[in-house]
Amino acid sequence: MHIPDGLIPVPVALGGYGLTGLFTWYSLRQINRLPNPTVDIPKASLLTAAFFVASSIHVPVPPTSVHFVLNGLLGAVLGYYAFPAIVIGLFFQAVMFAHGGLTTLGVNAAMMGIPALIAASIFRLHIHLRRLPPKRAIAITAFLAGVVGLGLATLIFVGIVITNIPSGFNAATERAAILGLGLAHGPLMVLEGLFTTMLVLFLQRVKPDMMRDSIYPQLPFGKAPASEPRR
Amino acid sequence: MKLALDEHAGLDSPLHRWAAPYKIVGLGLLMLAFASIRDLRLLLPMLSIAGLVYIASRLPARVLLTRLRYPGLFLVSVIVALPLLSGETVLWQWGWLTLRQEGVQAMGLIVGRFLSILTLSVVLLGTTPFVTLVRAFRSLGLPAILADMLLLTYRYLFDLADTLAQMQQAMRLRGFGRRQRPARVKFSLWRTLNRLAALAGTLLVRSYEQSERVYKAMQLRGYGARLGKGRSDRPQGTAFDWWGVVIALISALSLVIAEALLNWQR
Repeated sequence: MHIPDGLIPVPVALGGYGLTGLFTWYSLRQINRLPNPTVDIPKASLLTAAFFVASSIHVPVPPTSVHFVLNGLLGAVLGYYAFPAIVIGLFFQAVMFAHGGLTTLGVNAAMMGIPALIAASIFRLHIHLRRLPPKRAIAITAFLAGVVGLGLATLIFVGIVITNIPSGFNAATERAAILGLGLAHGPLMVLEGLFTTMLVLFLQRVKPDMMRDSIYPQLPFGKAPASEPRR
Repeated sequence: MKLALDEHAGLDSPLHRWAAPYKIVGLGLLMLAFASIRDLRLLLPMLSIAGLVYIASRLPARVLLTRLRYPGLFLVSVIVALPLLSGETVLWQWGWLTLRQEGVQAMGLIVGRFLSILTLSVVLLGTTPFVTLVRAFRSLGLPAILADMLLLTYRYLFDLADTLAQMQQAMRLRGFGRRQRPARVKFSLWRTLNRLAALAGTLLVRSYEQSERVYKAMQLRGYGARLGKGRSDRPQGTAFDWWGVVIALISALSLVIAEALLNWQR
């Protein structure tokens, strides 16, 4: 789900770069406010590479196979580094596989990155679900983060494509295409949510340090509590 | 996933000799001009310019063909759907299958623009060592944190891809992916998802642990002492580099002006 080079007009592409620039600037400003902004750069970089590689894992869903976007999980794990990580991941996808493109990098980054930040906020809500057992609260918010991450990205994608593709379609064809895309992405969103839940529960069990931000909700993303040594 | 970007950066050609910051600006301007083309008559000049740049770069044809192997399903669906569904002028009809002129034209434009911009992207990445490219981005204003992340991600991308391939092979050797008995089929998607989540999770945990070792090693070499404080290199261009930008700018402006004139005539 990437917008390729050549599909959208230049003003939209430049607008995408503007939006991505704004969100990147905001993310970097938050990172630079940390006591030691360099400490998490290797972690964010390696996890960016790992997410890039992990998103190539295909799940067989007969008669085809699907792969996951993982932008919701990326937001939950990387916090403020998520947006720069998505920009970098999409840059490599564009230059290595021609998925997306250099002129559409801004639009694609905004399309994937903004839902990732929203999904991260949704995931953090598990702290407030105090009536539920912690594991169930984490599972519910992780599922929602996965669904919303992909769902919002799909909505933005469809919106951009519908408004920018040559308008020779009749209304019935357009409605059928939107309905078809929606129906096709519904099960995918559920699968993405399930996969995100399983992955989060796995990380929570095996390496809870990676989910630190969600454990200490009073702290901004990437900041460790003063009473504990930084990771 | 063996797709090193700068495999051919050691060749010698005018594009290889063009200093990276100027090349980014020049080819970037051309890409934007290509993206602005909406008139079918400019398709050939645009493809010719992209072709000439590629020939001048002396990159082997297979580099471009390899990149073309991967374009998304979306582009394929645009190629198939537009000629059949978009427009009113029927070019050819066979039963319910109708080829429409407007759809064919729109598809030609989208594919032409895509191919031309992709060709320039391949030239930009293929004729510049990756480290030089990141340094050039830095000199053009890319923040230090993004530049560091870009380099580190590129450094470990192939390592992690190899790790994943090994882990997947190990899973297959232990029987993952074999057909399930009919009674278990309904549970197979759940089980598959669970196992693949564990696979992806293990990859993330491994990379997280590796990043801690990498950070300590980098810190011992002085990393972090000057981040964001050091001045980025300012591009020092030769006459050749400036001429490259001027030629690219003239080509880009010619296309944009021609597009505007043709649009005005319509």
